[in-house]
Amino acid sequence: MNPFELKKIMIQSLDPGTDTEEIAAKLDNESISYDFRDGFTEKVTTRLFSESLIANHDLEFRRNLSLVFYRIAITGIAAIVMLMLSIFIAQDSFSFDSFLGLGDSIDESIVYLLTGN
Amino acid sequence: MLIKINNREYLNHNHCLYNNRIMRGSYKLAGDDELVKASLDGDKLAFGEIVNRYRKMVARTVKGMLGDSVYAEDIGQEVFINLYNSLPGFRGEAKLSTYIQRIAVNLTLNEIKRRKRFFSMFSHKGNEEMSEVEIADSGTEEKVEAKEIVNKALSSLDPKFRIVVTMRLLQGYSTKETAEILNLPLGTVLSRLSRAQEQLREKLKML
Repeated sequence: MNPFELKKIMIQSLDPGTDTEEIAAKLDNESISYDFRDGFTEKVTTRLFSESLIANHDLEFRRNLSLVFYRIAITGIAAIVMLMLSIFIAQDSFSFDSFLGLGDSIDESIVYLLTGN
Repeated sequence: MLIKINNREYLNHNHCLYNNRIMRGSYKLAGDDELVKASLDGDKLAFGEIVNRYRKMVARTVKGMLGDSVYAEDIGQEVFINLYNSLPGFRGEAKLSTYIQRIAVNLTLNEIKRRKRFFSMFSHKGNEEMSEVEIADSGTEEKVEAKEIVNKALSSLDPKFRIVVTMRLLQGYSTKETAEILNLPLGTVLSRLSRAQEQLREKLKML
């Protein structure tokens, strides 16, 4: 089937009155068909009968978990980067003290902060 | 009388042969109802026959919508696993093929939504699908090209239009059947068909 004819058929298939069964069969004959890979049936039956029946829920759970993980990971990384930037801007340093918020503090001011005297 | 008795015996004999054939695991000639019943009893071979019988139909929907990706294979498996798990609730009001098709459509649309959400977080492409193009390994160049055109055209359509095109073009369903499977009013399907046709015409010009 040449591309022009194929495109015509594709558009024609969307006309409500068209016999689409015939079109689908024609495409199938032209090797425009779809199937799963070899061993598909065995994979399905193995998953159902050999393994436990939690497979389906488990798969769904793992997918959602990985989605949530990526979201949390990206948000976490962004938060860490922002925190580091804000520390650097405020303390002008990346020292351990600046991470603890002690960058510009002197002993007297800490005593004052802790005791109020 | 004698003939009647013989006749009955003959029929019973046939019935036994039929049951024996099923017991030996040859379900090729069994009807969908029998396969469902046997599957509910935990018969692996019976369910395997259902999978074999409808795998191409499911592949057309899933691969037509998602492209030939690993995801499509996974979704295909999930369709049959969902089917198996929901068989106790299958009352036989709809045909088994329709029932399977509905599961396939729902799972495929859910996967598209999931991927849309996922890729919109990581990519500027937003809702563009990661649909790969299926190319047959063993085919003439013309056939490969034809399949490429179909896949490219399908993947370029909006999912709500893609599903109606898949149902009509690849599955060969009538408008009424499409409406029944997609659980949509007939009017909605007709309007989507018309808009899909418009969109498809535009996309095909570029291919």
